[in-house]
Amino acid sequence: MSELADLVADIVADVDSVFLFSPSGSLHERFLESETPVVVVAPENAVDAERFVELPLEFDDLAERIRFGIEGGLDDGHLEEGDQVACVAKVFSEDVDSITRVRAGDFEHSGVYDLFVNSRAEPSVIRDVLEVAIELGKKGQKGKRVGALFVVGDAGKVMNNSRPLSYNPFEKSHVHVGDPIVNVMLKEFSRLDGAFIISDSGKIVSAYRYLEPSAEGVDIPKGLGARHMAAGAITRDTNAIAVVLSESDGMVRAFSGGEIILELDPEEY
Amino acid sequence: MASLPWSGEIQAPTDHVLGAIDPTGAVTSSFSVGNVFREWLGELPAAERNLVVAVLVVLAGLVLGAIVAWLVRRVLVAFGVDDAVEGTPFERTARQLGTSTVRLLAQLCGLFVFAVAAVYAAETLDILPERAFIDEISAFLPQLFVAVLVVIVGLIVADKAELFVGERLRSVKLPEVTLIPTLVKVSILFVAALIALSQLGVATGALLVLLAAYAFGIVFIGGLAFKDLLSSAAAGIFILLTEPYSIGDQVEIDDHRGIVQEVDVFVTYVERDGEEYLIPNRKVIREGAMRVRE
Repeated sequence: MSELADLVADIVADVDSVFLFSPSGSLHERFLESETPVVVVAPENAVDAERFVELPLEFDDLAERIRFGIEGGLDDGHLEEGDQVACVAKVFSEDVDSITRVRAGDFEHSGVYDLFVNSRAEPSVIRDVLEVAIELGKKGQKGKRVGALFVVGDAGKVMNNSRPLSYNPFEKSHVHVGDPIVNVMLKEFSRLDGAFIISDSGKIVSAYRYLEPSAEGVDIPKGLGARHMAAGAITRDTNAIAVVLSESDGMVRAFSGGEIILELDPEEY
Repeated sequence: MASLPWSGEIQAPTDHVLGAIDPTGAVTSSFSVGNVFREWLGELPAAERNLVVAVLVVLAGLVLGAIVAWLVRRVLVAFGVDDAVEGTPFERTARQLGTSTVRLLAQLCGLFVFAVAAVYAAETLDILPERAFIDEISAFLPQLFVAVLVVIVGLIVADKAELFVGERLRSVKLPEVTLIPTLVKVSILFVAALIALSQLGVATGALLVLLAAYAFGIVFIGGLAFKDLLSSAAAGIFILLTEPYSIGDQVEIDDHRGIVQEVDVFVTYVERDGEEYLIPNRKVIREGAMRVRE
């Protein structure tokens, strides 16, 4: 089996750093003495790693997960553009089972990392909103598919760039995304037309909002509807990000700066 | 004794006690056992009589003590004390010594009952030289018991509070923060020691003064330090409940005009042209706010 060992040795030869995706404590300890810098990418820093990139979502797609980790590494200065990186991750089992090699900067900077970390809203809020959208996409409203639009962050400006379609059901309430009751509430309110507006700290400011940004020059793929157009436009006019659950194809898309940053299929989560 | 009193016929009274006249035989017989015992006791000389009573009292004390210990243990377990003290250093020490906190407390209560019985036994035996001495002991015993109890409970509560506060502050990544749980623990231990010592009648005047100074320091300095935060929080609760302005409104507070981005308990975030002001809520109440309506 020396050929196999050689193959693995070839894959990891001369890497500039090692990325461990959600490693166990013992695995991380084995790498403590290594000369190449080790970066841990995980939902939380359970192993007290020195270099750490927080993974806000457990991306099911390995490519997506690695992309997020590398972008985070570049952003935090753990990596240089063009560095060779060995990624150690788990795909099928509960333990680490795969090794890949990527060159940092090889793929286009998608901004997934920026979406979470460098947005106005807190990363946990964005994660909660994404989870709510995924949940809504999975179950729908009473078995029927629904669409929804969440605008997260920069709420003051978004409120001034929109108008109410009807009474705001969230007026004088202090509900935050991530509260257990919210899933049910949002599911019920998703019948309403218009957008949900969520503040930087996760407070649901309003539902039933009609967004009025100027849509000039917003370039989103053809075939997506008015909801996506509104999401793209409002994120270009303000510092908010938008999370859209498409009614037609059931995908969850996140917008920032007028562009689609992230596309998730709720069925995969 | 062929026929008993309830066999129907009333027999001629024999000289045996069991053959007594009463139809309620059981009561009679138990009474008579007591009588026999009393008679037997009466025939004994005074010294021996006292010895018998003393031995009985000690035996009763043992049984009662065991029952009390068992009861206390059951009650403590029923209240979940054994789970609550899990993980505290006191419990760990107790475990090392082959016992546990609950068992220790139960045994302590049992021991107290037994000690009371022992004192009475000693009194009947006249072992102790003076009457005053016994009085002193019987007055001192409960105090000692309470003092030991207070020390144990104080130790456990202090450990528990330290763990709890430490757990709460875990997310705060600041080395100095580890001082706070220790401070909480020491405060509780100090108060427990004070109570225990005053129970035992030791002069605690100086310690009491220290405690007063300490409490005053915490209240006074804490109040001084948190004055602004507290008044902001009070104002913030009012603002959150009544919502005189909400996110997206154009306001002017404390000469800062802009759009409200966020309202929380302590501060209001007002943004204008990319500059975000943090305005303490107490300013809103004290100086008022202006809502701009176009």
